[in-house]
Amino acid sequence: MSRPCGTPAELAELVAGAVRARDEVGTRTLGDSVEALGAAARRWGVDAQLLADLPAVARLSPPLVAAAVRIAAAAIDTSAMLALVEHEFGAGAASRAAPPGPSLIGHVLAGNVPALGIPAIALGCLVGAAVVVKSGRDDPFSAPAFHRALEAVDPALGATVVTAYWPGGGRSWEEAAFARADLVVANGTDETVAALAGRFGARLLAHGDRVSVAAVSREGLGRDEPLPERLALDVALHDQRGCLSPRVVYVEADGSPSPPVFAERLAAALGTLARELPPGPATMEERATLRALAGEADWEPGSRVFNGAGGLVVYEPRPAFRPTAGPRTIRLHPVDTLAALPLILAPGRVECVGLAASGPEVAELVPALRALGVARLCPIGRMQQPALAWPRGQRLPLGSLLGRPGPNVLAVES
Amino acid sequence: MSSAVSLEAELAAAIATRGRFDFEAWAQRIFRHQFERNAPYRVFCERRGVRPETVARWQDVPPVPAAAFRHADLACGPPEAVFRTSGTTDPAVRGRHLVPHLAVYRASALAAFEHFVLPDGARLTCLFLVPSPESRPDSSLARMCAWVGEAFGHDVEWFVGAGGLDVDRLLERLAEAERRGDALLVAGVTSAFAQLFDACAARRLAFRLGPGSRVMDTGGAKGLARPLSRPGFLRACWARLGVAGYSCVNEYGMTELCSQRYDSVLRDRFDGRGLEARRLLAPPWLRTRVLDPDTLAPARPGAVGLLCHHDLANVGSVSVVLTEDLGRAVAEDGIEVTGRAAGAAPRGCGLLVEELGLS
Repeated sequence: MSRPCGTPAELAELVAGAVRARDEVGTRTLGDSVEALGAAARRWGVDAQLLADLPAVARLSPPLVAAAVRIAAAAIDTSAMLALVEHEFGAGAASRAAPPGPSLIGHVLAGNVPALGIPAIALGCLVGAAVVVKSGRDDPFSAPAFHRALEAVDPALGATVVTAYWPGGGRSWEEAAFARADLVVANGTDETVAALAGRFGARLLAHGDRVSVAAVSREGLGRDEPLPERLALDVALHDQRGCLSPRVVYVEADGSPSPPVFAERLAAALGTLARELPPGPATMEERATLRALAGEADWEPGSRVFNGAGGLVVYEPRPAFRPTAGPRTIRLHPVDTLAALPLILAPGRVECVGLAASGPEVAELVPALRALGVARLCPIGRMQQPALAWPRGQRLPLGSLLGRPGPNVLAVES
Repeated sequence: MSSAVSLEAELAAAIATRGRFDFEAWAQRIFRHQFERNAPYRVFCERRGVRPETVARWQDVPPVPAAAFRHADLACGPPEAVFRTSGTTDPAVRGRHLVPHLAVYRASALAAFEHFVLPDGARLTCLFLVPSPESRPDSSLARMCAWVGEAFGHDVEWFVGAGGLDVDRLLERLAEAERRGDALLVAGVTSAFAQLFDACAARRLAFRLGPGSRVMDTGGAKGLARPLSRPGFLRACWARLGVAGYSCVNEYGMTELCSQRYDSVLRDRFDGRGLEARRLLAPPWLRTRVLDPDTLAPARPGAVGLLCHHDLANVGSVSVVLTEDLGRAVAEDGIEVTGRAAGAAPRGCGLLVEELGLS
């Protein structure tokens, strides 16, 4: 659980202490911080108490939580962090101190996906800031557990971090946590970030509602087996709650297998995967969503529903951008060519496109997808394993914390 | 007179006379009518092995999902009017409700409105915070308001145009009514009231409308620029309009239905049941079941489930509509709407003014 704070005043005192601690470690090299963060991540990734406590509060099955923790820990990899600081701050950055930047960064985490606080803390430390993290309701454990791990391996760096939880809308707590913050990074629904925008103004760096899609070319259909199983993994991880979860898949129509057959195999793969990574308990709203999806497909000309124990696949012949709302549900649309994708997707709504396509096909799509706001292209099966360098919302992960307006970045992973 | 017109005329008369209403008999008769004349619905029923002769009780009539209205023309004959759902996502597949004969819709809307909003027989000047039917002929809410104004209003004024809510004119009109001590019916979408309250706050205005004034709002949180809780809405009605909470009636309706449910508060007060919990009540020709989303079996009493409406005033289309709304039964006669399916497309009257640039 987050560090207990009896009152907002106590929280404010903790935050002030973190800022003072940040001043004391200001001359240390980024390489030292990277080593400490990597060690903390390895320690955190095997935190038995975290793995035991998180499933119930996150409404995820224990195997799903274990997978989420494994992925999050792997992303805080020492070599990846070194590459990131060198990429953004130039050669030799690891042997220098962090560049001048904010003294305090606040993070308001969404609760939909576990362990969002880990990259938040790591990135804050890599720009030399003190960090205060407000956990989401569905994961009040991960960030404090990582904080404890960091304190254990590097007490000085750990002292620059504060983790806390309070129910959303607690204005006095919010004031205590973020009044001194130079930047507040908020993740959440569009409503949440809109509400926060009114309070933080220019200090806010917002990540609102986004979804991801997958796309399969005729060539990718034949080449990238077992594609349905890999796409099923992307759908199932985090029970499809994250912005990297695919909610629509576009399949070129004249390949083999045909799109309806691919839809059937995807449903079967979801069923198989559910034995290894069982879904968490569905809410009433989610159960209603499943009913509505299947019910509507009954009335869409040519649509078919492939429903199994592990999820629901709706085959819909009309190309459209209509992301499902989960859990473990996806619409499959046949398309004549993936080149039509930029015309189908809504601008500013798609974070990641998972691709099973050849290099030249991908290269042709990149400029148009960048213009649409897509931040990441990666192979299907890796959509839920972003690197720390993921340019979320097309922003450089470190540069955006330093207020450096960079180019709109689209990362292409192979 | 064809048998279809005869059925609808007979139903309209039964609704208007407000005598004993035999829901079961009407439900069976109307299902047979729809099965015979509504081809897409007949196919849907036959796929489930349901025919008029297999329906023993009204609960056996198959529901169509509300989304079906986005994909099929579910009508028993050529429409006299087509109403479209509001919504900002994928307007190409907005729902459309084809109504072959407006007489039943009109009879149902007026009877329920009078029963729940005007139980004292008041006849008031009507200020409508919705577009007029001339500017939005496909809006079922605009049409309903027009009927209400014609039937029960002294005078009718519309305050939403192409540019959204005309705040200045509305504030002037409220001030005039206050000066004269007029009682008003102010009716419209919740988001328009929210904009009115914000304007009052910004200009430090508060009105005291004449005794007997009342508010009817619909659409809830849909299209709201900022959160406004129900208690907050009621407080604002009192603080900004001088209309007490017990004269503020929330309406629950859908484009896909010809009948509406209303907040019980005013009716209960009139019936001497003022301490009863607020709930959404229906006229006798509308029943709502709360269903388990997985099985579509009835939810436990008081438990939350999907709302499935059986609206006999939908005689010309499909009477049983499974919504994406979640709710629960309250007391013996009411429901409470508690939420909506996760990620369900925004829909409803609140978006009517958002489309016109209000929000």
